[in-house]
Amino acid sequence: MSSILELQNISKNYGSSVVLKDINLSIENNEFFTILGSSGSGKSTLIRIIGGFVKPSSGDLIFNNKVINEEPIFKRPFNTVFQDYALFPNMNVYNNIGFGLKIRKLDPKTITDKVEEVLSIVGLNDFKKRMPHELSGGQQQRVALARAIVCEPKVILLDEPLGALDAELRKQMQLFLKDIQKKIKTTFIFITHDQEEAIFLSDRIAVLNNHQFEQVGSPKDLYYKPKSKYLASFFGECNLIDGTVDNINNDIITIDTAIGKINIKNKYTNISQKQKITFAIRPEQIFLNQKKDNNSFSTNVDRVEFKGAVTNIILDFQKNIKIKVQINNAEEQIAINENDQFNIYFDPNFGNLFLND
Amino acid sequence: MINLIFILILILEICFLMTNIINYFQSSIWTIVSFIMVTIIILIPLLSFLSYSFFTVDNVEIIHEFSLYNFKEFLTGEIYIPTFFRTLLLALIVMIACMITGYPIAYFLAMYAHRSKYFILLILIIPLFMSYIIKIYMMRSILGYSGLINKLLMMFGIISEPSEFFLYNQNAVIITLIIILLPLIIIPTFTSLEKIPRNIVEATYDIGCKPFQSFRYVIFPISLPGLIVGAVFVFILALGDFVTPQLVGGTSGFTYGKIIYSNFGMAFNWPFGTALASILLIVSVLIILLTNYLTRKN
Repeated sequence: MSSILELQNISKNYGSSVVLKDINLSIENNEFFTILGSSGSGKSTLIRIIGGFVKPSSGDLIFNNKVINEEPIFKRPFNTVFQDYALFPNMNVYNNIGFGLKIRKLDPKTITDKVEEVLSIVGLNDFKKRMPHELSGGQQQRVALARAIVCEPKVILLDEPLGALDAELRKQMQLFLKDIQKKIKTTFIFITHDQEEAIFLSDRIAVLNNHQFEQVGSPKDLYYKPKSKYLASFFGECNLIDGTVDNINNDIITIDTAIGKINIKNKYTNISQKQKITFAIRPEQIFLNQKKDNNSFSTNVDRVEFKGAVTNIILDFQKNIKIKVQINNAEEQIAINENDQFNIYFDPNFGNLFLND
Repeated sequence: MINLIFILILILEICFLMTNIINYFQSSIWTIVSFIMVTIIILIPLLSFLSYSFFTVDNVEIIHEFSLYNFKEFLTGEIYIPTFFRTLLLALIVMIACMITGYPIAYFLAMYAHRSKYFILLILIIPLFMSYIIKIYMMRSILGYSGLINKLLMMFGIISEPSEFFLYNQNAVIITLIIILLPLIIIPTFTSLEKIPRNIVEATYDIGCKPFQSFRYVIFPISLPGLIVGAVFVFILALGDFVTPQLVGGTSGFTYGKIIYSNFGMAFNWPFGTALASILLIVSVLIILLTNYLTRKN
């Protein structure tokens, strides 16, 4: 794996409003890289900078060890799949896809072969004579993708391409995107605001928050080793419990929280006595009904949410602390009712600590 | 006779209406109402007007008897067909000149004028709200023997004495019509250019187009229907115009429209005027249908 695209200290501001601040990133060849951020986080600006539609205020964009800041859009070996597809309304599906090749002055035979090949990859052979307005959203999406991949770009930029699709179609298209990326072996830079989508699709994810990257890493890294409280609750659900460090052993940290003392494995170097911290643990990392001396707490069930495969149980610990526990419904659910007394157990191996300022 | 034709037309209309009522029975009452409105306001007056083309005139007296005399006169008369084709050519020149000048204006307005584009557009179309006659007089004072253009040309020493190139001839008619009709081509072209999403323009560059290719293969084809609509407007209006040739055309610049006008006015030959007008109407409708067919095919 070698880096194909590098962003060095990329900043962008419009007047006094900062959109991106010192973005550093290295994208590897053939990886599915996702830039994840909520709306207004600057993720679209970032992909537009890569594509060449927006000039960065400062910083360098490096492609294959060459600075391409000044390279015009049409010379960059990237192709974009736009959010609202941006198909050419005056051309049918076939011509939309073949247009890039025609511009590159390939001979008609090659164009036909390549377009046919891409059409069969995206499964639109029967639609090549249709005009864009005669296609459904999902089909337009496929044409947009086909149009991008037919030019064999080194990088494909996807600017929230699934944003306008309904949930079912979205899932289909996610699978489809992943398959295509494996098939054509090209670097994909994907933009989304949907964490689940990002986790499912990506080799690596960069989370954009407050104009900067909060963390860059594999989906598992981000899920299990989030670098901040924000990330812990941004990816999936997370219980956040405030407390102070009570005692540090070599391998065990004891924290004092409103629900009692909790012991956790010490994998931190920056934590000292009496520090204010937040303990973050995911609902599926908490276990029910295990009577152990340490790390066991018992309280009332506030609410039971049956969700099919899993059940969420919300426990009320008074003092505004509610803890969500998720249990697997492999067997038929043991009866848990509201206001039942319940026991939970924190495994010391699970959960993360974050320093509070 | 005239009453008979009226009654005939009315009967035809009612039959037509009845079939429509049956067809649209499931649809709302408003379809029928709108159909009646169109019939009363447009179709009946138009048909009764056109029925005049089959009458003849004898000493300022209109003879209400069916005759094809007027159409024979049109085909055999020495000036009518040549004038008609000359006017077609004139309208064509005006149309092409308007397309060539109007498209770039609309293009730069839609693509590069950013926030001020609506303001500039407003300035460009203000002449549309002005009286037609005033505009022509204005053109006269610009084109005339001691008008603006001649004065400027003399000031820069390009000509030594005022030129008669600009007034009371065909050139004057063409120039005046271009100036007056230009906004009609700018508006629809601007609208169709402005509707093009920025994404699509970006997509052309993204796919590898150089600016000219982007224009040639995508932007121009998308905006073409707007340009054609504007061009048809200009062509039809230039074809039927009679005030401009009257005021700036002089003796050499008379057009088909002016012949129609003089038949209603000085000659007091309404039936012949109507016959000439209906020929113009048919040609205009054919042009509209043809362009409609062509644009839909694309």
